[in-house]
Amino acid sequence: MIPDLTRAVGVPRLAGISYPMGRPLGRPHDADGQRAVLRSVVELLAAASAPDTYVELPFVWPESPAQARNASKDLPAPPIVELLTRKPWLLASLYTGRIPNEVSAA
Amino acid sequence: MSIDSYRFLDFASRQVMKAWAARQERSVIPFTLLTRPLRECTIALVSTAGIARNDDQPFDQERERRDPWWGDPSFRVIPLGTREQDVRLYHMHIDPRFGQADLDVVLPMRRLTELAHEGIVGQPAPRHYSIMGYILEPTVLVEETAPAIAEQMRLDGVDAAALVPA
Repeated sequence: MIPDLTRAVGVPRLAGISYPMGRPLGRPHDADGQRAVLRSVVELLAAASAPDTYVELPFVWPESPAQARNASKDLPAPPIVELLTRKPWLLASLYTGRIPNEVSAA
Repeated sequence: MSIDSYRFLDFASRQVMKAWAARQERSVIPFTLLTRPLRECTIALVSTAGIARNDDQPFDQERERRDPWWGDPSFRVIPLGTREQDVRLYHMHIDPRFGQADLDVVLPMRRLTELAHEGIVGQPAPRHYSIMGYILEPTVLVEETAPAIAEQMRLDGVDAAALVPA
């Protein structure tokens, strides 16, 4: 779902899909759609012959990004988002990956 | 690449993930060819949705709430046949309700079983796995958790694993 980042980390085989987070295989109860995604993934196991093989799956999410995000807007923010809302200067640590290692940073 | 990795993310998450991707150092990527045809392979799944069985230890949400820079680096075994009502999703950075309504959205064990019946793969492994997708500092995950999962897969005769990000 974020193939850019997965590729940067470096994996043997990668199937990119343009689906929202939390729903990598597709919509709940869409068994045919889920099976098509998984089939593409397992077939890549056999098709790839070298590391960093990357294929983009052709599946199209049926909602716009705004619609997909709206479905989850009633959820509480993750702890890191709450923290950065209170202490926005700590955002630099998240960007740079220099993670504070003490709870006191919270 | 034509897939826009960031189209479903909000602006701040997008900027952070772009920065992480740009910062990542390239290293040698391990690669092993399948040793037998796919239709004979035993396949295991690993979900990053933070799934734990109700009769297992939950992922540690309390510690993450106390220290939001921390993510639980442990793993849970999810035996084949585990159903939605047997588990909870503990990942606090995704909407858990989709996977909670239909576990195959994040850990497609039933779909894998169907592909085995169709003759596409050999069989699903008896045990599948879940880890927490939010781990900013991955040392324990890489050095302890991943090898422990791999060892269990070896015991089950797993030929290949699919990591399913959530």
